Amino acid sequence: MIATAGLSLEQAPPLNLPLRLFLTAPLFAIAAGVLLMLDADAVLATRWSPTALAATHLITVGFLGPVMIGALLQMLPVLGGVPLPVVRPVAISVHLLLGLGAGLLAAGFLGGGATALASGAMAAGLGFALFAIVMLVALGRACGGSANLHGFPLAGLALLITSGLGLLLTLALLGRVAVPRLLDWVQVHVAWGLFGWVGLLILTVSVQVVPLFHVTPAYPRWLTRALAPNLFLVLCALTTLPFLAPAVATLAGRVAQDALALGFALFALITLSLQVRRVRAQIDATLLHWWIAMGALLAAVLGWLLGTTTERIGVWLLIGVGVGLPSGMLLKIVPFLCWLHLQSHQIVLGKLRVRIPHMQRLLPNDPARVQVALHGAGLLLLSTGFVYPPAAHAGGALLALAALWLLGLLTLTTLRYRRALRALIDGAPATNPDTGSRQDAARADTVPWRGRGETPEDKCANDALSIASSTLPRQRESR
Amino acid sequence: MDQRLDVSDLPAPEPLERALDALAALPAGDRLLLRHRRQPYPLYDLLGRMGYRWEVTGTEGDWRILIEPADADPSPAR
Repeated sequence: MIATAGLSLEQAPPLNLPLRLFLTAPLFAIAAGVLLMLDADAVLATRWSPTALAATHLITVGFLGPVMIGALLQMLPVLGGVPLPVVRPVAISVHLLLGLGAGLLAAGFLGGGATALASGAMAAGLGFALFAIVMLVALGRACGGSANLHGFPLAGLALLITSGLGLLLTLALLGRVAVPRLLDWVQVHVAWGLFGWVGLLILTVSVQVVPLFHVTPAYPRWLTRALAPNLFLVLCALTTLPFLAPAVATLAGRVAQDALALGFALFALITLSLQVRRVRAQIDATLLHWWIAMGALLAAVLGWLLGTTTERIGVWLLIGVGVGLPSGMLLKIVPFLCWLHLQSHQIVLGKLRVRIPHMQRLLPNDPARVQVALHGAGLLLLSTGFVYPPAAHAGGALLALAALWLLGLLTLTTLRYRRALRALIDGAPATNPDTGSRQDAARADTVPWRGRGETPEDKCANDALSIASSTLPRQRESR
Repeated sequence: MDQRLDVSDLPAPEPLERALDALAALPAGDRLLLRHRRQPYPLYDLLGRMGYRWEVTGTEGDWRILIEPADADPSPAR
């Protein structure tokens, strides 16, 4: 017999903490899409244009950051058995700081002045640094945990370094500190953010979720063990470049960036090959997002090797991967969390007669596929904009629409969750009062789908949770 | 009697959904033998809280989880 302890849903934070991050993130993607729609020419002309910088930070700080942190709030305790300390104040603070930071940074780049820029950078830097420190402390306490966690500390360190460099660059731009070879440091900041924090986290999370959600073979052991640490070492080497002589730095930089490009290309190719070998032929919205994102990643790598412009590479990485992949994950994670929490409430309330809706009913696949189509078309038109500029404006509009659609889907999922929870609280007793048998639970009522208005279901359920958890008998696995 | 349920080819969280549905429909005195390609750790947590006990055998890629109410009489495989 095999021991199965070590993973508990009870360690998961309250649902409202990840949800607040997930539900506000698309607003910033909508704003980035609108900026692209209005001023696509400037974005495609140079990545240093104010609009390009504003859109970049709306995506990275406002959308990507909160989605990744929201997912980690749930994933670290449930998959890794690593509860985050003081999770509520941390999640609320990070949410506010990143939202404020993204808004002020965008305003600052778009002519809002140095104060907005400095305040935004400070808020974003503090938000990211706070989460990175809490995550690293939690991982440090959980050394030797049950799950494959070794990529998470590297991503956390990369986030800390990205935040620190971002704050340093802001101080340099404001003239508070002198930073020689500022552009080199910008490249290092971008590399740590994009390939360290985002790249390593995607890599680490993929190893867990791709086989789980798409029923594929597991990633090869050498990839799960070696790729993330080696890419981290390459990033460390890249950080020394501003200290080297310019000629040496250029050559060494090219070698390091080639290594990063090839590492992530390998990851994309292996992911695609695993997904081709998936057991079920079903193609859901998340899988489509994966294919678009991996295609965009491979296009960026190919473009890099062929010497295309950094603007094109930036669009493919930031929008193809940075917006697409988190959108696909949200389409899975949000209904999954809602279902999981409903299940947990059902047990605690003892309402086993009440059937809770399956994940597919919380977020059906067809409207989710529409979201992927809008995103894919937007990315395609934006890329076409490099050869036919008017297409980029339409691309921006479609990307804004895709993010708006995403927001609508997530909001509807949350509302369905609340209705189901309300129905659960009002539902039938746990067992048939005549027989008390579990068999009677099979003839359970289905949760009605009529809304009953916005009442404080969460509070009711949480009260019930705290009461029932102290009274329910606890049964662990037999050994 | 053991009811058998193979969820090996289902993506998350369908194995959990199907297993919980099957347990709700399980006749009194029966056990559920679940076959899965991976260890369903979140299910174990739910089972514990629902008042079930379980035994796990098998190897990576082919796990068998035998589930029954915790208050059932322990008995050999039926």
